[in-house]
Amino acid sequence: MMQKLWLKKPILNYSKDVFDIVQFGSSVEEGKTPNDLDISIIFNKIPLKEQLDQAQEIKKQLEKLVEIPVHINSFDLYSLFNSSNFAKESILFSGKSIIHGDDFAKRFGFSPKIQIYYSLKKMKKKDKVRFNYMLSGKGGEYGLLREHKGELLKPGLIEINPEFKNIFVNSIKEYKVDFKVKSVMLG
Amino acid sequence: MNKKEILTKTAKEYFSSGNDEFNKERYNSAVVLYFKALISFSDLYVLQKTGNTPSSHNERFKITKEKFPEVYNLLDKDFPFYQSSYVQIMSKELAEVVKDDAKVMAEKTNTKL
Repeated sequence: MMQKLWLKKPILNYSKDVFDIVQFGSSVEEGKTPNDLDISIIFNKIPLKEQLDQAQEIKKQLEKLVEIPVHINSFDLYSLFNSSNFAKESILFSGKSIIHGDDFAKRFGFSPKIQIYYSLKKMKKKDKVRFNYMLSGKGGEYGLLREHKGELLKPGLIEINPEFKNIFVNSIKEYKVDFKVKSVMLG
Repeated sequence: MNKKEILTKTAKEYFSSGNDEFNKERYNSAVVLYFKALISFSDLYVLQKTGNTPSSHNERFKITKEKFPEVYNLLDKDFPFYQSSYVQIMSKELAEVVKDDAKVMAEKTNTKL
């Protein structure tokens, strides 16, 4: 249930210097078994020493909630966007706010989405039908879209939340469909 | 040289080299060297308290977490920077933090820098 930690919005003690506590990496990806819990603590502008000391206190609290190692990175809003922060795309795009129980990107007014474009042109009719059942369900059973709150924007284009990317991509691959994946931030 | 003398020598050498790199504004190198000094001082502290020294990072973290949490806290806090020092730009401010932590352990081991 590691993937759901951010949804549980666990009660943590932290100071007003903390802008957000973000879960990111493999632990927020559905369908994966994470080896560790990657957490980024975003601070308002305070000295680095204070950031690190406060981050350690938050880490101790998180370690009591999970059974896998907790890896903490701390940033302020300036260093988060620094070019030397190789994790920033992952934090911004797929990060989940443990404080707010929602996409971290929403703190900045954006909603991250994965768009998958696919073509069924080369498929046999029966495989097209099976593919559509897989996405939309059959006879009252949920398809992937309903199960994971995805949306069919138009024939050949679906939009899903980032955490379900692997589930959709792996399922689509089974049908040997031509497809491409785009990461988008909606304003 | 016995273990205590070796650890004291290496810790002081790393710390002094860290200062050299710090003064040249090579903060990545300074962070690595200050962290190595921190490790050596921590091992020296464990040796002083238990008569043994850890043989790996895993053992070091395990022993300090169980017996010396204040030491574990320093190691655990600074270790990620040591690990990522080859792919991230380290700041002067960070080098000062790790330097101060090495100094804390020097004091705990009664080592004069």
